[in-house]
Amino acid sequence: MSGVVSQALPLELLTAGEQGIVVEIDGAPELVVRLEEMGLYTGVRVCMVQPGAPCILEINHQRYSMRFDDSVTVLVDLVQ
Amino acid sequence: MIEKVPSKNLERTVAVIGNPNTGKSTLFTALTGVHSRIGNYPGVTVEKKVGWFEFEGQSIRLVDLPGTYSLSPRTIDEMVSVDVLLGRQAEVGQIDAVVCIADASNLERNLYVVSQVLDLGLPTVLILNMWDVAQDRGIQIDPVELGNRLGIKVIPCEAHRRRQIDKVRSGIVQACNSLKPTPPDLFPEVFHEEGRRLQAEFLQISNQILPTYLVERLILDVGGQLETELTKPDPEQLISRLKESRERLKLVQFRVPNIEAKLRYGWSRKILTGVMTVPEKRPSTATDSLDRWLTHKFWGLLVFCLAMFIVFQSISWAAQPLMKFCELGQKHVGEMIGSLLPFGPFRSLMVDGVIAGVGGILVFLPQICFLFLFIALLEDCGYMARAAFLMDKLMTKVGLSGKSFVPLMSSFACAIPGIMATRTIENRRDRMVTILIAPLMSCSARAPVYWLMVAAFFPRISWVGGWITLHGIMLFVMTFFGAVVAVPIAWLFKKTLFKGETPPFVMELPSYKIPSPRIVLHRVFDRATAFVMRAGTLILATSILIWCASYFPSDHTEEQKVLVEIRQAETTFASELDLKEQLNQLRENTVNRKEPLLDAVPLPEIDEKIRKLDERLKPLHDLFDTRNKISEQLLANSFLGRFGKVIEPVVKPLGWDWRIGVGVLASFPAREVIISTLGTIYSLGGDVDENSQGLQSALQSANWPDGRPVYSIPVAMSIMVFFALCAQCASTLMVIRRETNHWGWAGFTFVYMTILAYIGAWIAYVVTGWLMAA
Repeated sequence: MSGVVSQALPLELLTAGEQGIVVEIDGAPELVVRLEEMGLYTGVRVCMVQPGAPCILEINHQRYSMRFDDSVTVLVDLVQ
Repeated sequence: MIEKVPSKNLERTVAVIGNPNTGKSTLFTALTGVHSRIGNYPGVTVEKKVGWFEFEGQSIRLVDLPGTYSLSPRTIDEMVSVDVLLGRQAEVGQIDAVVCIADASNLERNLYVVSQVLDLGLPTVLILNMWDVAQDRGIQIDPVELGNRLGIKVIPCEAHRRRQIDKVRSGIVQACNSLKPTPPDLFPEVFHEEGRRLQAEFLQISNQILPTYLVERLILDVGGQLETELTKPDPEQLISRLKESRERLKLVQFRVPNIEAKLRYGWSRKILTGVMTVPEKRPSTATDSLDRWLTHKFWGLLVFCLAMFIVFQSISWAAQPLMKFCELGQKHVGEMIGSLLPFGPFRSLMVDGVIAGVGGILVFLPQICFLFLFIALLEDCGYMARAAFLMDKLMTKVGLSGKSFVPLMSSFACAIPGIMATRTIENRRDRMVTILIAPLMSCSARAPVYWLMVAAFFPRISWVGGWITLHGIMLFVMTFFGAVVAVPIAWLFKKTLFKGETPPFVMELPSYKIPSPRIVLHRVFDRATAFVMRAGTLILATSILIWCASYFPSDHTEEQKVLVEIRQAETTFASELDLKEQLNQLRENTVNRKEPLLDAVPLPEIDEKIRKLDERLKPLHDLFDTRNKISEQLLANSFLGRFGKVIEPVVKPLGWDWRIGVGVLASFPAREVIISTLGTIYSLGGDVDENSQGLQSALQSANWPDGRPVYSIPVAMSIMVFFALCAQCASTLMVIRRETNHWGWAGFTFVYMTILAYIGAWIAYVVTGWLMAA
C-alpha cells in the first residue's frame, strides 16, 4: 500500500476522515479476541468517521461505535 | 466421508447461523412464514426458535441460533449454538446441514464465522444476504467462484424483498442431501497433535470423551465458557494441563488466542482475492447522511428525546378512543352476564371477581400493543444502536457502557427480555449492575397504573391546539422516573458492590432500513398474546382469590334483597334513566365543545333538567345509598377487610387507605394485579352508582369514613411512585435468579426496590401535598 508512514499511533488519535492500518492490538486476551472477531484485526484498514469517546469507525464499509480505554490499545499506521 | 442416503420423506434438521445484523430473522421468517415456534433451551434462558418448511417434497426443520460473530463459546448464547451444531443438544438432535448467513457488503469479516462452521465438517450452504446493499456500494462478488473455492453452494439473496427465497430453499434441501465437505484445515499439525494429547489427558483425569472440535476450541478460547464447563470435574488438574498445553504451543510460535484471528482472516482474504472487488472509496449512503444528524452530539440527543416524547404522547393520544371502546365492551359483558344470572355468590364471582378483575386489565390491551409497536419499530429500523452510541457518554458517568443501554431500553417493554439481553455484556460487573437496575425501568405492566391514575386524577389540560396534553406529559414523566432513579443507584452499586473499570465499548452500527411490517407485527402479536395469557391465568387466579377473601365470611342476604329491589326500580324508571343518559351525553358534548353551536341548549338549562330528573329518581338513589352502605359494611367485615385494617397503619403515611394497601400487597406477584384487585374491591364495596363506568369513576368517588375523598393528586402520585420503584414481578425475580445463578441477587433486588419504593412514595405524597397547598 502506498504512502504508509511507518509510525504507529493509537487509533483514537486519528482525526475525522483519516485512515490507518492496524499494526498491533494489545490488551486483555478476551477483549482483543472480541475486537478481532468483530472485524478490527491486524492488517485491516480503519477510517475514523467521528472522533471522540465513543468514536465512530468504519472498517470494510461497516460502521462501528467504539470507546477505548487503558485495557486495550490499538496501534495504527497512518495512511496518507 | 460418509454419503448420506437421500431419503425424501424424513424430516431434516438445519441450523441457521450468522453475524448479528445480517437479516437472519428476516430470512428465517421469509423461509418458514407462520410455521415457527419460540421457546427456551432447557436450563438456560437462551431463546430457541424453530420453524418448518417443505420444498420439493422434503420437509425441513430450521433451528435459528443466536446471532454471533464467532463460534468460540465465550457466552451462554454461543455455548448453546456450539452444542446444537455438535448435536450435543438433546432437544434438537443431530444437525443435517448448516445455513450460514453473511452480509454480502461486509464479507471479509463474515467469513470468519463461516470458516469456523466449515471446521465442523457439516454440509453447509452460504447465503449472501443484502445483495442489493453490496451492489449499491459497488461491491462485486462472483458467487459461483466463491462457492468453488469454499467447496459449498453460495446463494445471493435479498431476504427483506423476498427475492431468491426459493433458491435458498432449494439450496438448503440440496445441502441436506449432499456429501460432507472437507474442512479447510487452517491450523498446523502441531496444534492438532496438542489437541489429541489434551483429549487423552481429559479422558484420563475426568473420564470425559470430548469431540476433537471442542478440545481444539478449549485450547483456543482463553477464559471462555468452555474452560469453566469442561474443567468442572477437576478444575485444578484440568486447568493446569490446559495451561501447559498452551505454553507448549507458545514455544513453537503458535500464540493462543491471537493466532486464530490471524489464520482465519488470512484465509478469508485469500479466498476473496479475485472473487470480490471493493471500490477504494465507499460511496456515501443515506445512512451516512442520516447519521450525521442522528449521532451528532447535540442534534442526536435532541432527536432522541423528541422521539421518546412523541412515542408517549401518541400512545396516550391514539389508544384513548380504543380504550374507551374496550371499557364499554367490558361494561356490556358485565351487564349481560349479570342480567342472566340470579343474585348470589356465583353472580358476584363472575361480575365482581372475574369481569371487574380480568376485564379491568384487558382494557389496557390497545396501549400495550401501541407501546410494543413503537419499540419494535425503533429496534427494527436500526435506531437502537445509535441510541446506545448517544447514551454511552451518559452511561460511562455511572460506570456502565453503552452496551447496557439496549437491555435497559428493552426493559421499558418488559424487564424479562431486558435482563436476558444483558448476556451480550461480557463484563460481569457491568452485567450484574445492569440486571439489578433493569427492573427499575418502567415496564408495560406499570403503564396501566399510570394510565388509570393520570386519567382519573389529573385535569384534562392541553396546549398547542391539543397536540401536547398534561396527561401525555405526566405519562412521559412517570415512564422515565424509574430510569432517573436508576442513575444514582447504578452509580452506588458500581462504587460499592461491583467496583471496577468501565470496560471498552464496541458496537456495530447497522444500516438504517425500512422496518419490516411482518417482523414488527409479529413481535407486537407475540407480546399481546403473552399479556392476554397472563390476564387469563395469573391475574384470573388472583382475582378469584381476592374476590373470595372480600366476599366471605359475611352474610349477603340483605344485600341481595336490596339488589333485587334496585333491579325492579330500574325497570320502573327505565324511561327516566334513558333520558338521563341522553342528557348527560348532551351535557358532556356541550362542555367539551369550544365554540357553541347556534342551536345548542345552554348548559344551565340541561343542568336544571337533570336536577328535576334526579328528584323523580330519588327512590332509586336511596336504594343505591342503602346498597352502598351495606356493601361497605360487608367488605369491611370480610377476611380482606379485616386484614386490610391490620396493615392500614403501615400504608397510612403514604396517604393510602386499607383498600389500596390490600391492592398493593396483592400485586406483589405481578404488578398489574392492582388494577384487577381495585376493580373487585370497588365493585364489591359499593362505591358505584348508576352512572359508574368502570374503575376510573369508582376511584373518583371513593371516600374515607369521614367523607373526604380517598384519592387526590398526592395519593395518585404516591401510588405511581411506589409502582415505579417496587419489584412487584415474580417472573422478573425468577429470571434474575436464573441469570445470576443465585437466589441471593433476586432477594437483594426485591428488598432494595421495595424499600426504595416505600421511601419514594412517602416523599412523593408529602412533597405533592405541599405543592398543592402552596
